[in-house]
Amino acid sequence: MKYGLALRYALCILALIVLAPAAVLVALHMPAFGEQLPAYGTTVNAHVPYMRQATNVVTAIIFDVRGVDTLGEEFIFVAAITGLAVLLRGGRGEDASRKPIHVDGRWLPTRSEAVALLIRWMLPATVAFSIYVMAHGQLTPGGGFQAGAMLASALLLLFLGDGYRSWRQVTPPVVMQALEALGAAGCVCVGLLPLALGAGFLENVLPQGQSKSLTGGGLIPLFNVAVGMAITGGFANALVEFLEETREPEEEGQR
Amino acid sequence: MKFAVAGCLILVMISGALVAFTRRPARQVLMISVHGLFLSMLFLMLQAPDVAYSEIAVGTALVPVMFLTVLAAIRGGGRRNLPR
Amino acid sequence: MLRLLPWLAAAWLMAIGIYGMVTSRHYVHLIGCLSVVQSGTYVLLLAIGFVWHAGPPIFYDHPPGTPAVDPVMQALVLTDVVVGAAVSALLLALALQLHKRRNTLDPEELEPLP
Repeated sequence: MKYGLALRYALCILALIVLAPAAVLVALHMPAFGEQLPAYGTTVNAHVPYMRQATNVVTAIIFDVRGVDTLGEEFIFVAAITGLAVLLRGGRGEDASRKPIHVDGRWLPTRSEAVALLIRWMLPATVAFSIYVMAHGQLTPGGGFQAGAMLASALLLLFLGDGYRSWRQVTPPVVMQALEALGAAGCVCVGLLPLALGAGFLENVLPQGQSKSLTGGGLIPLFNVAVGMAITGGFANALVEFLEETREPEEEGQR
Repeated sequence: MKFAVAGCLILVMISGALVAFTRRPARQVLMISVHGLFLSMLFLMLQAPDVAYSEIAVGTALVPVMFLTVLAAIRGGGRRNLPR
Repeated sequence: MLRLLPWLAAAWLMAIGIYGMVTSRHYVHLIGCLSVVQSGTYVLLLAIGFVWHAGPPIFYDHPPGTPAVDPVMQALVLTDVVVGAAVSALLLALALQLHKRRNTLDPEELEPLP
């Protein structure tokens, strides 16, 4: 080991040994695991299902009770994906070929037919399931964040099963960027809609509907769909940027 | 019930340690995926189905694939940069 | 023992993730250890809101009076999981560009702090 690495190991182990009693002391002073009823949580559980006609209290909190937090998180996500696109700019579209990068001595296996068949069965099921999860966000466990991640991994299944060429045909980067931008703009517009009707930003002023129905919750389904679109577009963008980097560049200067 | 929660916590601790101690990046990706799976099992035991949904989709499928594409783009998965 | 285990598990995950980050020899390995530290915070938040013999805060099948765990903590962790993945993707893009400029991803060779 070189001198610098040995010093880093020593300092790190020393710091963790010194901090370990502090962690045990904090653990001893924390409330007993599972014994304490949460005050804010039980109030929310008792009142929100009647106020918003939504049976999934977690989704009602994300999109209604603490909606401004979700708006902030959504824009953190958009900023991260924008930074990623700026960093990996170049080598896109017609500049990169469809062949994977050639590495000496690495054997590229051909695509197996069993994998392609399995993915052709699984892909429509995954897409349908993720749309179901997004639509039933305020009824059963689900919502925009989960459904967006599932839809992005369904697009990834297409890449695994049918190859890079057909994946690029289904996910053109312009459409994915438009999806993400529309989702983020949709979140803000859903927040501005109550302002036009005379109430506060992101206040739930639409008719609440019935409990256990797909249109229950007022503003919640709209916000749900906007966030789902944005998350799907963002992850698909990130995957397009990353997978383009693994393709063989056509000219030598294109690195 | 208590054994299930305690068992899942111990599994998460073990897989977290294995993620940090696997030095080759190409092998660490698989450990990240296993850690995501154990985390979502723990979230299910802690009565949080929404969070388990997110963690399965993100931690098992999306994040390892991003890691693998970056490793493929740097040509060979860090074979030149092994420690020791 | 079970009253201490979740807090110790969260502290363990954070400590082992930081140890992996400090003694890492490859920047992609470092980003993986960062995700372990983040998972420690998720365990801590969800363990704070947990109540024994209570169900999830979904009241589709039973009326809203039945005992349920804290939904606010789950709301915090849920957005955190997805956004944490996006931040990891940004860090991976940084590592990729670094490899293109300097042709190595070893902190010893790159020497960020001489």
